[in-house]
Amino acid sequence: MSGSSQSVEHDALACEFVFTGDPAAMIAVRDRVMDFLHEHCADEQQEIDIMIALQEGLANAVLHGCRNDPSKVIRCYVDVTPEAITIVITDPGEGFDTAAVIESTGVGTNLTQHGRGINLMRGLMDEVSYRRGGSELHLKKLRTRQL
Amino acid sequence: MLRIDIQGAPEVVTLLCSGRLVLGVEAETLRCMAASRPEARVVVDLQQVYAMDAAGLGLLVELHCRARQQASLLMLANPSPCVRRLMALTNLESVLQVAGPAAPELARNNHEEQRAMTA
Repeated sequence: MSGSSQSVEHDALACEFVFTGDPAAMIAVRDRVMDFLHEHCADEQQEIDIMIALQEGLANAVLHGCRNDPSKVIRCYVDVTPEAITIVITDPGEGFDTAAVIESTGVGTNLTQHGRGINLMRGLMDEVSYRRGGSELHLKKLRTRQL
Repeated sequence: MLRIDIQGAPEVVTLLCSGRLVLGVEAETLRCMAASRPEARVVVDLQQVYAMDAAGLGLLVELHCRARQQASLLMLANPSPCVRRLMALTNLESVLQVAGPAAPELARNNHEEQRAMTA
């Protein structure tokens, strides 16, 4: 399954996207997730915040969780409730020392080309957490508009 | 999608960006466009950029570092509220050279001062 993706719609407000661990498939899924979320975001700013955080989460899953290996599979589950939009990204990697990485990304100015993703996600979303040793990312954005 | 319009002035070029500066073809387009310019002073106008991710920020850092290595100048102009917010979240405001609408003029003067100091 190289460079492909598929989605399974659970109900009107939840959807799971499955794609392979390569950047081209990731960008296509990012856009499909945002198409799905478009009408559920309170405003354009919230939509942009989610898009950026989603981009970072998916990119980390492809780069670190799959090491750009298209034979590996990433799952992105999106759930919309009246209270919040939740995104869960699961990769097949071994995870990482979440505490150490989160601590290191919050210190000083990073002048390399990488390593800003977690900072951005934490700044843009209301909740960011890792489970399963770092291989499962949970992003939550509270909604300010009722369904 | 990212659109880049080129605005030339003597010895300074302004790349007017509009759209989103994110991983993929958008970031690669700006990277190639900036690298291909012969001018020693490049202004990247971000007024119409409504979204940027870590790859976009990383690209701005890359262009900034490359300009310093080559003793040339990269200046960011008119960052949109979104871009400003992301630069603040990542502590890049104090590192990257950022200016308002007068950026092309500042870039010209700044570079001439640098040249005078090293002459």
